[in-house]
Amino acid sequence: MSMDKETLTKELIALVADEGMVDVSDIAPEKRLEDLDIQSADFVMILMAIEEKYDVYISVDNELSEVETVQDLLDLVITKIEEAQAA
Amino acid sequence: MRRVVISGMGAVSACGNGAQALISATQAGVSGVRPVRFPEIDVQRVGTAAAMSPEAKAAIDEEMAHRMREPVANYALLAAREAVKQAGLETADFGDACGVSIGSGFGGAQTLNKNYLKFGAEGSMRLDPMSVPKIMNNAAASWVSMEFGARGPAYCMATACSSASQSIGLAYQMVKVGAMERCLAGGSEAPLESGVFRVWELLRVMSATKNRPFSKDRNGMTLGEGAGVFVVETAESAIARGAEILCEISGYGTNSDAGDLLRPDAERASACMNVALQDAGLSASDIGYVNAHGTGTVANDVNEVDALRRVFGDDLSELAISSTKPVHGHALGAAGALELVSAIGALHEQSAPPTINFTEIDSKIGIDPVSNTARAISTDAVMSNSLAFGGINVTLILRAYG
Repeated sequence: MSMDKETLTKELIALVADEGMVDVSDIAPEKRLEDLDIQSADFVMILMAIEEKYDVYISVDNELSEVETVQDLLDLVITKIEEAQAA
Repeated sequence: MRRVVISGMGAVSACGNGAQALISATQAGVSGVRPVRFPEIDVQRVGTAAAMSPEAKAAIDEEMAHRMREPVANYALLAAREAVKQAGLETADFGDACGVSIGSGFGGAQTLNKNYLKFGAEGSMRLDPMSVPKIMNNAAASWVSMEFGARGPAYCMATACSSASQSIGLAYQMVKVGAMERCLAGGSEAPLESGVFRVWELLRVMSATKNRPFSKDRNGMTLGEGAGVFVVETAESAIARGAEILCEISGYGTNSDAGDLLRPDAERASACMNVALQDAGLSASDIGYVNAHGTGTVANDVNEVDALRRVFGDDLSELAISSTKPVHGHALGAAGALELVSAIGALHEQSAPPTINFTEIDSKIGIDPVSNTARAISTDAVMSNSLAFGGINVTLILRAYG
């Protein structure tokens, strides 16, 4: 499965909104996840949905601990998805 | 106050049967981690665990077969037999004078999982009629009490990853105040079942690659299994029997974060270590080796090193700190017992076991945790930490007896 980055970004924003239970219109790349009230338990839900949809396992660790904004999260997840698809 | 010692120890783990097998593996840095596959998990994301070999499991199943028992109790029994033999305990040493304190995080995971699968996948109501006695968390403690006729108090701490350490700490306190003369204490866990494994996957704290505590590229823990049991008794009774004293339990601290169920708290972990030091009548500088909880998750490792700095000072370069979890895995309710065996190994061999799989110092943490090869130490006091989900912290301090 391969898709362009723009479509993937849109899908991921929708997924984050859905699983993080926030209004999609509130999500902007520069927004801090903390300010959107997306907490560690929401991360687990977001990562489960990503696993189901994109077939990639991301542990709640290391790189994820440095994620602060929506853009940070998107960058990390897109990298992981691309890595998985290339493998 | 009475002095409390360890006069026997036993272990079963992915490193083999016996406490010595575990000590040898931790000292040499030989990992018991192997590939594991669960047919019920259609897409398994994490492919390794510190599991006993299928042959070793089959041998235990055969040797210990009993329709009211499953692996979690079998492991505890095997470890207890070894400990009792080493301590030279005989029938007259048990009875009311001997208690049992054996914890477990999950209890009978295999039976629970089989039932779920039978009910969920097959829709069958023909479940194991012995499920209740097999699943109950105190089964391991009770089987050990029955095996030896230990009729003193029997406890089962179920405090996740601190279960074994608290069980041993409780035994130490009970013996110290004279509530029992001796106690078979430790922890047992047999969590490598499909359903349990999958929920750990879903929590996303397991590494899909390798367990690398304190290393810059760490990305989670690796599950383990097994049991560790100790004979904890007064120095007086061990000496009267002519038993060899393996070490003294000189300090125990436990507290709780009362904060977050999953996120640890460095201030509370440091307070816990200080309670144990105070109990032991020791200063931080007396400790020559720390067997860290060291799971290899970012949350634990950053928190634990912060806590260690609060206790031992900013410069940790002179203190040998390591995690043996990449060798025996994170055995949850048995973890503290397997790690105490490893700490006793360090004390006896005057050698800090290595943190294997280590690649690079993490600037966020800034310690070299006895990376990859054992390091000589010169000390008569070692510490072991357990920092559990639920915010339950435990520190045990052992000293050479003399």
